[in-house]
Amino acid sequence: MVGELAYAFINTFLIFILTLLGALPLGLAVYFGKKSRFRPLKWFTEVYISIMRGTPLMLQVMVIYFAPALVFNFTVPGNWRFSAVIVAFIINYAAYFAEIYRGGIESIDNGQYEAAHVLGYGKAQTFVKIILPQMVKRVVPAVTNEVITLVKDTSLASAIGTVEMFTKAKQIAVSPRSPGMLTFLVAGVFYFVFNAVVAFVMKRIEKALSYYD
Amino acid sequence: MKKTISILLAAVMVLTCALALASCGGKKPAEETQKLIVGFDAEFPPFGFVAEDGTYDGFDLAMAKELCKRLGWEFEAVAIDWNSKDAELSSGNINCIWNGFTYTGREDQYTWSDPYVDNSIVLVVKADSGITSLADLAGKSVMAQAGSSAVDAIDANEEFKNSLKEVVQLPDYNTGFMDLDSGSVDAVAADLGVATFNISSKDGAYVILDEPLSTEQYAVGFLLGNTELRDAVNAELLKMAEDGTMMSIAQNYVDEGLVLESLCLVK
Amino acid sequence: MHILDIQNVRKSFGDNEVLKDISLTVDKGEVVSVIGPSGSGKSTFLRCATLLETMDSGTLQYMGETVASMEGDKIVYTKDLKKVRGYFGLVFQNFNLFPHYSVLKNITDAPISVQKRDPKEVKETALQLLGSMGLADKAGAYPCQLSGGQKQRVSIVRALAMKPEILFFDEPTSALDPELTGEVLKVIKQLTEQQMTMVIVTHEMAFAHAISDRVIFMDKGVIVEQGTPQELFEGTKQERTRQFLQNYQR
Repeated sequence: MVGELAYAFINTFLIFILTLLGALPLGLAVYFGKKSRFRPLKWFTEVYISIMRGTPLMLQVMVIYFAPALVFNFTVPGNWRFSAVIVAFIINYAAYFAEIYRGGIESIDNGQYEAAHVLGYGKAQTFVKIILPQMVKRVVPAVTNEVITLVKDTSLASAIGTVEMFTKAKQIAVSPRSPGMLTFLVAGVFYFVFNAVVAFVMKRIEKALSYYD
Repeated sequence: MKKTISILLAAVMVLTCALALASCGGKKPAEETQKLIVGFDAEFPPFGFVAEDGTYDGFDLAMAKELCKRLGWEFEAVAIDWNSKDAELSSGNINCIWNGFTYTGREDQYTWSDPYVDNSIVLVVKADSGITSLADLAGKSVMAQAGSSAVDAIDANEEFKNSLKEVVQLPDYNTGFMDLDSGSVDAVAADLGVATFNISSKDGAYVILDEPLSTEQYAVGFLLGNTELRDAVNAELLKMAEDGTMMSIAQNYVDEGLVLESLCLVK
Repeated sequence: MHILDIQNVRKSFGDNEVLKDISLTVDKGEVVSVIGPSGSGKSTFLRCATLLETMDSGTLQYMGETVASMEGDKIVYTKDLKKVRGYFGLVFQNFNLFPHYSVLKNITDAPISVQKRDPKEVKETALQLLGSMGLADKAGAYPCQLSGGQKQRVSIVRALAMKPEILFFDEPTSALDPELTGEVLKVIKQLTEQQMTMVIVTHEMAFAHAISDRVIFMDKGVIVEQGTPQELFEGTKQERTRQFLQNYQR
């Protein structure tokens, strides 16, 4: 049982890491979209963020998974059951990250922009060299919260039968000669340990960024 | 320049959405009858479950696999979330549901094979509860799997339903039996197969009420109108019942709670 | 040719007209102090000259090059502001050092990545400037590890490292504890000896008196009076100037 759960955990981890790899940068793009002076883009982004934050992730996963076939009559090639989870998680988490980034960026003193301005930094340089590094440091605690939530949210992939650890645990628990409740206990230990590792890594990142202030 | 960046960003976002919605394919491939994609619930023994070696097993899967072998078809089993079975079927992710799938009451919603299992919805109670009939359950809590035919059976029997304190719908029977054990529900309404399996592992702690809530039949369900695939599968299914293949496969699942007497195609 | 030539500046925030037709020219090596009560518009004037604020109307030239000019009643800024920014430096009241960069990187990053100068030369210049201001041992420190006076000296070095033609100071000692102002004023005085062209907005009257070639008194968005320190501090003919200075001497 532990072996099977460990094997299914690979998918849990994949959902986790692919979501972060996609959503962390996409969140920045969403932030820029929201700040854009190009009105349609700004509106689109705001609607997108409010939908992502205003509806359950489980529902979003199901919509992303079923909509292509049922609404648009497309068959998405490849392992869409898994990809749909990744797509849904990325666009959901990007919305949350965008709001966190916004908070981080808006908390930076205007004097930083003015100093960069006077020193001749361009808009892009100012953002990349001056604002972004300070923002990253400021958002680490909030991002840590989201990342820990993400570990637990991976179990929502079971809504469309994607076999990650939680789906597997449910299957094992009802299989003949199964250890029953013990399965969930073991799965719980997996999640807990994984989150402990995540918390440790985030703490290290926070520490690495605390060389100033 | 600023506008260009904005438009570029917009394009990226639209693309991201498009990626979610569109695809390179564009068109649904033509129905391939040489491949049977069976949708099943891996949490529904003895018809579909996870075997000890971690692979998917079950009476229905074994039957489907054997049937494909005999017809020279490709076989694929897809574990689905039972609540999404209709969406899975209409989206073409699967082309049949073969998993203790209740035919009774859903006659018009799918294209069906001949029923191969005659199962009843029964009620499981604790042996020491003193409950012996449906009437004894007045004012009590009954659990049934959400979206299952047990719920339909309860709904159909209005008098019985109104006599109950509540119907507790849970995502799977494992949770239901834990609730029965802990006393938070007084009875579990389930298919005979499920009920038999669950009480067999509990050493007489549970009993099945003699009076069934309803009788029902299992069949293989196909997308409404897909008679071509249905006909091919059904013909072979009948042959397998005839030549003893079905019974010999069924023997392997008695331990998991398959009730041989319920196999109505085998005479 | 003037280093700075700014004429007829007007600037309003909403209904509040902060600058009412201000003009100033500064020549090479000149040290000009701008004094006046809070809200007189002296900081806004400085921010207009350093392109942090857009003027409503007026003209601006650095080194004879037009930065802003009037076309009819519309002000037009040149497109090539990057080159113009190389002509001046600005020292802020609140330092505005980059907290995530070391002292050395604060100083060298813009010359290297904006002016594309040779990193080795920039670093040598920076270390030499730091040394001349008594900060040789702080090159590797981060701003949060420095006192206010040290921060302000670093920000002066940061501005100087860009090799500006003119250096602006916006109340450089106002955010400092009184005992720390001395070290910053000393550094600015040092710069006058090196013939640095400077415009200093300040409340340090004695300091302005001591180092300025010219003092400008601003009040309510206009230049009330300007002249040598002696003319202003000792023999002003203007009632408003006299009142302002009296308040300060008490």
